Amino acid sequence: MKPYLGLLRMSARRVLAYRMSSVILWIGGATFLAGSLAVWHALLADGDIGGYDWDRMKAYLLVGWATGALGSAYGDWWMANRILDGHVATDLTKPLDYQWARFSEHMGGLATEFIAIAVAATAVMALTDGLPLPGPGQALLFVLSFLMVAPLKFAIAYITTMVCFWTQNFMGVSWAKDAIVTLFSGALIPLALLPAWLAGPASVLPFASITATPAAIFLEQATGWEALRLLAVQAAWVVALWWGARLIWRRALRALTVHGG
Amino acid sequence: MRRVLRIYRRSLGAHLRAVLEYEADFWILVVAGLLFQVLNLVFLSAVFAHVPALNGWSYPEAVLLAGTFGFINGLGPLFFEGTWRLARRINHGELDYPLVRPVNVPVQVISGGIGMHGFGDVVGGGAMIGWGLANAGIEWTPVKIVGGLVMLVSSATILLSLIVIGNAVSFWVGGPHPVFAMTLIRTADMAKYPITIYGVAVRAAFTVLVPYAFISFFPATWVLDKEHSWIGLLTPLMAAYCVWLARTVFRAGLRRYDSAGH
Repeated sequence: MKPYLGLLRMSARRVLAYRMSSVILWIGGATFLAGSLAVWHALLADGDIGGYDWDRMKAYLLVGWATGALGSAYGDWWMANRILDGHVATDLTKPLDYQWARFSEHMGGLATEFIAIAVAATAVMALTDGLPLPGPGQALLFVLSFLMVAPLKFAIAYITTMVCFWTQNFMGVSWAKDAIVTLFSGALIPLALLPAWLAGPASVLPFASITATPAAIFLEQATGWEALRLLAVQAAWVVALWWGARLIWRRALRALTVHGG
Repeated sequence: MRRVLRIYRRSLGAHLRAVLEYEADFWILVVAGLLFQVLNLVFLSAVFAHVPALNGWSYPEAVLLAGTFGFINGLGPLFFEGTWRLARRINHGELDYPLVRPVNVPVQVISGGIGMHGFGDVVGGGAMIGWGLANAGIEWTPVKIVGGLVMLVSSATILLSLIVIGNAVSFWVGGPHPVFAMTLIRTADMAKYPITIYGVAVRAAFTVLVPYAFISFFPATWVLDKEHSWIGLLTPLMAAYCVWLARTVFRAGLRRYDSAGH
């Protein structure tokens, strides 16, 4: 346990060492949130769309942005570069489980993210006259489902970076992943508003657990047993992807080529 | 000038050949670029299935606007990708190499790479422009065709200048990643929608402070004959100003460069 906590602390320190970069990146994230709020404000000026009025849409966009921001700044590029540089070879010599080690680093990278999300939530509430808040029980379920997003996004990012064992460049892979996740998680637009041929796959893919599930619980569209069912689906995906990643890792190692030393 | 262009072309060509060596990577990047344009289209079509207009912009008009933005955005990676590697070169002291070569430094920096995802953006954005123009019910005149093309070139010039300015700021900010440029260009994304949806402060900032609105919004309003369309005619002037500014900032930064010690 101790070495993993050490990795977690180190990766948190790394994030804090480049404070200026983090701040500028968060300003970029804030303009994105402001942009989508403005677009929807204009769209909803003439009435509801698919059951979303301005108040609910505000909450939806905030939850969507927060789940999108969680663990996006560091993690995957760091992992991908170690594979591309060949540093992964030295990681393999360490007496640690590779996946747990990367998971610890990923969680350490979240250090500043909760603060930034809190700041953004406060700003949205202050500047747009509040948000519809869920009751205490529902809020607890929301927190659980929000926390589950972190390991879920880790598993997806981890699996994606393993493509680097076969390709020489991570940028395209990372963008293709981002595009797919954005579309099928509901971060682009609530899944209910998608045309049927896209809503169908979205409902069976793991990505809906990233944005659609926390948002549905926050907005009290899913309460009681339905909320618990969604949480169970989230947990199932975390477990499935975690073990799926192990299988892929075993194959990927066979494709590893490191030149020189 | 001819010599500079020739060197630019040859340097970019060398990088293109290098990129094409990795065929799988090439296709992944092209598809990734294309996917983002598809995403824009999915968003607009899903939204316009529920509303007739976005702040007075019909579906084809909004597609035209988003397509123009996507098309111009794709030119950055295709022709100016090397600029994005400036921060890393400064941080590692690698700008020494271009400095000792007897060729214009910005050209060496700008042509120092090529991003094939731009290809996907250009194809996807281009298709959206074509469809938007065909369906927006525009009355074509020779003036409009020539004016539209001039504006497209000017808009591209503005965005490419912004890329140079944003990355040249790395001379002052430090660090191996061009975070300032990333933020500057990411914010430009807000201009893929009609800027009339934003508050007065944002509209003013996007017109005067950082000319995002000239990248797609004002040219499109001119072609579509919308309100205040005359502002679109200022696009070439704005482009000239941006080129001058990019040149000035880059030169000032270069004077500040002090290598990194090896």
